[in-house]
Amino acid sequence: MTGIGLFAGHQYQIAFVLLVGVGLYTMIDAKNLVKKVIGLNIFQVGLFLFLVSSGYLAGAGPAIVDGEGRYVNPLPHVLILTAIVVGVSLTALALALIIRVYDEYGTLDEEHIQEVMDGD
Amino acid sequence: MTDALLGVVIALPVIASVVPLVASFWREEIGWYVAVVALVLNAVLIGSVVRSFVSGGILSHEVGGVAVPYGIELALDGLSAPVLVVIAVVSVGTLAYTRTAGPRSNSFYSGYLLLTAGLVGVTVTADVFNLYVFIEITGLGAYALIASGGDGRSAYAALKYLLVGTVGASLYLIGIAYAFVATGTLNMADLSARLADVGYGDTIVLASFAFIIAGLGVKVALFPLHTWQPDAYSASPYGVAGYVSALVSTVAAYALGRVILTVYTPGFLTANPVVSSGLIYFGALSIVAGSVLAVLQTDVRRLLAYSSVSQFGLIVAGFGIGNTASVFGSVVHLFGHAVMKGALFLTAGIIAYRFGVTRLDEYAGVARRVPYAGAAFAVLALSLVGVPPAIGFVGKWYVALGAVRAGETAVAVVIFASTLLTLMYVARLLDRMYYGEAPEAVADGGGGTRVTRGMVALVVLASVAVVALGPSASAVQETLALGEVLGG
Amino acid sequence: MTEVESLRPLAAVAVSAVAILGILAAHRRPNLRESVTLVSATVMFGVVASMVPGVLNGTVYVTRLGEVVTGVPFVLRADALGILFAVLASFLWIPTSLYSIGYMRGLDEGGQTRYFASFAGALSATMGIAFASNLVVLFVFYELLTVSTYPLVAHDETDEARSAGRKYLAYTFGGGVAVLAGTVLVYVAAGTVGFSAGGIEGLTGGAGTNVARLAFALLAGGFAVKAAVMPLHSWLPDAMVAPTPVSGLLHAVAVVKSGAFGLARVVLDVFGPDAIAEIGAGLPLAGLAVFTFITASVIALRKDNLKRRLAYSTIAQLSYIVMGLALLKPAALVGGLLHVPAHAFMKLTLFFCAGAIHVETHTDRISRMAGIGRRMPVTMTAFGVASLGMAGIPLLAGFVSKWYLLAGSFSAGNVVFAFALLLSGVLNIAYFWPVVYGAFFETREGSDEKPVIDANIGGYWSGVADHYAGGAFTDGGHGDEDDGGWKKPGWRGGEASPFVLVPILVAVGGAVVIGVAPATVYFFRIVRLVVENVTGVAV
Repeated sequence: MTGIGLFAGHQYQIAFVLLVGVGLYTMIDAKNLVKKVIGLNIFQVGLFLFLVSSGYLAGAGPAIVDGEGRYVNPLPHVLILTAIVVGVSLTALALALIIRVYDEYGTLDEEHIQEVMDGD
Repeated sequence: MTDALLGVVIALPVIASVVPLVASFWREEIGWYVAVVALVLNAVLIGSVVRSFVSGGILSHEVGGVAVPYGIELALDGLSAPVLVVIAVVSVGTLAYTRTAGPRSNSFYSGYLLLTAGLVGVTVTADVFNLYVFIEITGLGAYALIASGGDGRSAYAALKYLLVGTVGASLYLIGIAYAFVATGTLNMADLSARLADVGYGDTIVLASFAFIIAGLGVKVALFPLHTWQPDAYSASPYGVAGYVSALVSTVAAYALGRVILTVYTPGFLTANPVVSSGLIYFGALSIVAGSVLAVLQTDVRRLLAYSSVSQFGLIVAGFGIGNTASVFGSVVHLFGHAVMKGALFLTAGIIAYRFGVTRLDEYAGVARRVPYAGAAFAVLALSLVGVPPAIGFVGKWYVALGAVRAGETAVAVVIFASTLLTLMYVARLLDRMYYGEAPEAVADGGGGTRVTRGMVALVVLASVAVVALGPSASAVQETLALGEVLGG
Repeated sequence: MTEVESLRPLAAVAVSAVAILGILAAHRRPNLRESVTLVSATVMFGVVASMVPGVLNGTVYVTRLGEVVTGVPFVLRADALGILFAVLASFLWIPTSLYSIGYMRGLDEGGQTRYFASFAGALSATMGIAFASNLVVLFVFYELLTVSTYPLVAHDETDEARSAGRKYLAYTFGGGVAVLAGTVLVYVAAGTVGFSAGGIEGLTGGAGTNVARLAFALLAGGFAVKAAVMPLHSWLPDAMVAPTPVSGLLHAVAVVKSGAFGLARVVLDVFGPDAIAEIGAGLPLAGLAVFTFITASVIALRKDNLKRRLAYSTIAQLSYIVMGLALLKPAALVGGLLHVPAHAFMKLTLFFCAGAIHVETHTDRISRMAGIGRRMPVTMTAFGVASLGMAGIPLLAGFVSKWYLLAGSFSAGNVVFAFALLLSGVLNIAYFWPVVYGAFFETREGSDEKPVIDANIGGYWSGVADHYAGGAFTDGGHGDEDDGGWKKPGWRGGEASPFVLVPILVAVGGAVVIGVAPATVYFFRIVRLVVENVTGVAV
């Protein structure tokens, strides 16, 4: 198998790893709190991608009751919908907390906040 | 019929959580009453569910009538019954405490009810994805409640917890995704059969296990994944800290145990000795690291938080050893630790409200000014050390027994040594509390909260319970029939 | 042996536990509070004593209370060995309480409610230890004893007291952990932890010699901490910072005796002499005991603080008991066990006298006690009698136990032990004699230098002159003021109050009675019964 062939068969897994990696790295490295939340979202998106793609069958159609032929496994879709909703509520809560933090400390930079807190 | 109640005990708090928010159009401060009604009712229902388990054996319910393994199953067995009981007890008890102490806003109680619903959900679900959802619900509730302190510090601590906790839950999700890819099912019982078919040595099975453990390990706050815990516990109001410390990590540890024992089964541990050793040593590491870090603390709440790290290490090690004795010990300790740690935080709250002190050196002599609360604190702390006949000793005994029986001498030594490690920080605390010049009582602890007799009575009751439950714990062993849980 | 279901063992434990509540409630009325203590002490002794005739006839009183943990019943059992300890402790609590009243009021001490409540708790725990029917129940009460005695050790609340308290906690909890580990090993190896005379069946066979040795080492080591065997002894001298009646409790009534008792249970009822001989654990333990009592006696020679000297004397004497148990021969067992009450009465007397001296004259240093016999003749006579007993002079308590220990060492075939016993007898005299001599035959002005105390080891004389000019020695926080001249105020002379004096006389009287007519005192008969049950040999 050629290099491209290797990639082509596993594009979703590779994308999963990349997204998770980028997301985690952003969460760890970024100083800005909003960027951390963005990183969290990217991380979760990668995860969702992996799970949805795991149900995919080449050449299969959507799972409709009266449809014909093979169909893609709909269970992961359902699961990921749930997970997306959870992710959205978490993001909402995170942003609300960030607003509160901003009101108190006037900055979104984690290092500055840490300094102020240590000074207390 | 009673198995349908399994669904009701989750649904009731969820529905009830909407009421205070809606009612805030008409009245403020109604949240507490709604929560009391809902949670007392819920406790009664939990009681009847547990009673029917005790007499009739394992309960199981298919949600919406959809057959397993396509639908979601709710179940109650010997592993989850004690956890359910402790949720019922602690949720009502902390409610009594927050009547005077905690935030009294409607939104707080909405969050409280939602958190309780999540906790119950984690305990009764028999589907791994459903577990993920309820863990996230629990997390949401916890993050919101921790931030209810109102200031920037608690918001920041909650945010940190959110970020770390979500990563943890997502790691768990990756784990069950791998398991799903390998077997095609999400129901725990079904999954356990299919995983055995796939083969316990298979890479994807091992990988899924690793991710699940890592993810739940974050939620349980094992070392070194615990870093969110000290900030979260010290920045939140005392009622919240008591509730969260008593239950959130507890159900996460229960989930860990459930996954290891029911989904992967002790057979998996036997087939992969590296995994089982890893798990056990992971727990042992937490025991030691948590205690050592606790000794170094100057703030009492942080000390209690690190103490939790240590206690959960013991529990996880017990699950890792995997024989009947050690699993029973872990269950007993789950229950006991929930009551002890929750009550310790509540008592610390009483002291803080009375004297306005949170640091260890400021605690000098306080026990003499608040004798009952001080005595309760001492009893609870000594139970944590493992002084018999309290429940803290019982859990330790069984886990140690299981460790020796399984031939895990290193872990057994660590477990025995953990008594001394815990003593290190408990002795400091007690010595400080009883001897020295007491500070003047502050009128309202600087926070506008006074200490009522009810609050003190609550923690005294908890300390009595902790001692009384010790000997009775072994009476429960047969009822729990953990041998069945272990696939015995 | 017939077992009889009875509430009396439980009653013995519960009496003082309930008394704690009474003491706390009577916080503001000292006389009422003290009567609670005295009443409960008397009742407890009555309950225990009522079981003695039955036990001597072979009856065992049992109270069943469910299970502690699965497979381990929570049973309180008054058998011969347990009754021995229980009778001793409950009897001695009575004079110790009287003494406490006199002492605490004489010094106008604070925190008396906490003191008396903790004392009651400690006695409850001691009864529990005595009547424990298995290792786990023993462990439960052992830990409770630690918890209830900690406030007593740290009573003074000075930095030194608190640090002594922490050291005490660390050592005793450490010992407790070892006991727990050993208990778990025994449970896994033998399937049970219940005490049975002569040893648990199948303990050594089941798991192999090395496991049995490890279990023995852990159990013996854990109990040895409280029994102050070297090198685990150092908590005891530091604990002397506590008030004297607490020291009496620690040394004579409860704490070190519970360590020795635990060791006795392990030797007699968990392993049994035969099993210990099999695994070869007897000799090392006996050797350790010999090392302890020789070394401790030598150290005692150099101590100027009377209570510290008594502390090292206790360490030495406790090791007689340990040695007696470790030699495994029936005669040695009798000697070791008999020394438990014998030493208790004698050491209690000595501590009570030390305390009386402290109350009346605020003196703690032997070097400053010259001539005190003139002021407090009764006290110092009692002291002298008790010291003679400690050295093993006939007609006093120490002699009988020493006789049996010697007999046991000879029958064990190892002359070293007999020789060591005799040597320690000499050392005993060496460190007690100066106190008595100085008290009666010297005066303050005419007292000699004390080279053994003051010289550095190695021979350089330092600070001898300073010493008599009031050099800087630190003391246990009780102050060390001089009382110029030995005046004799009042009708009773310079003696302490009756509360203090009567217990002294009771204790020394007991020591004399045990020595003069041992067979009449129940202790001796109980001890013989214990050994007979265990070894099958009538001594």
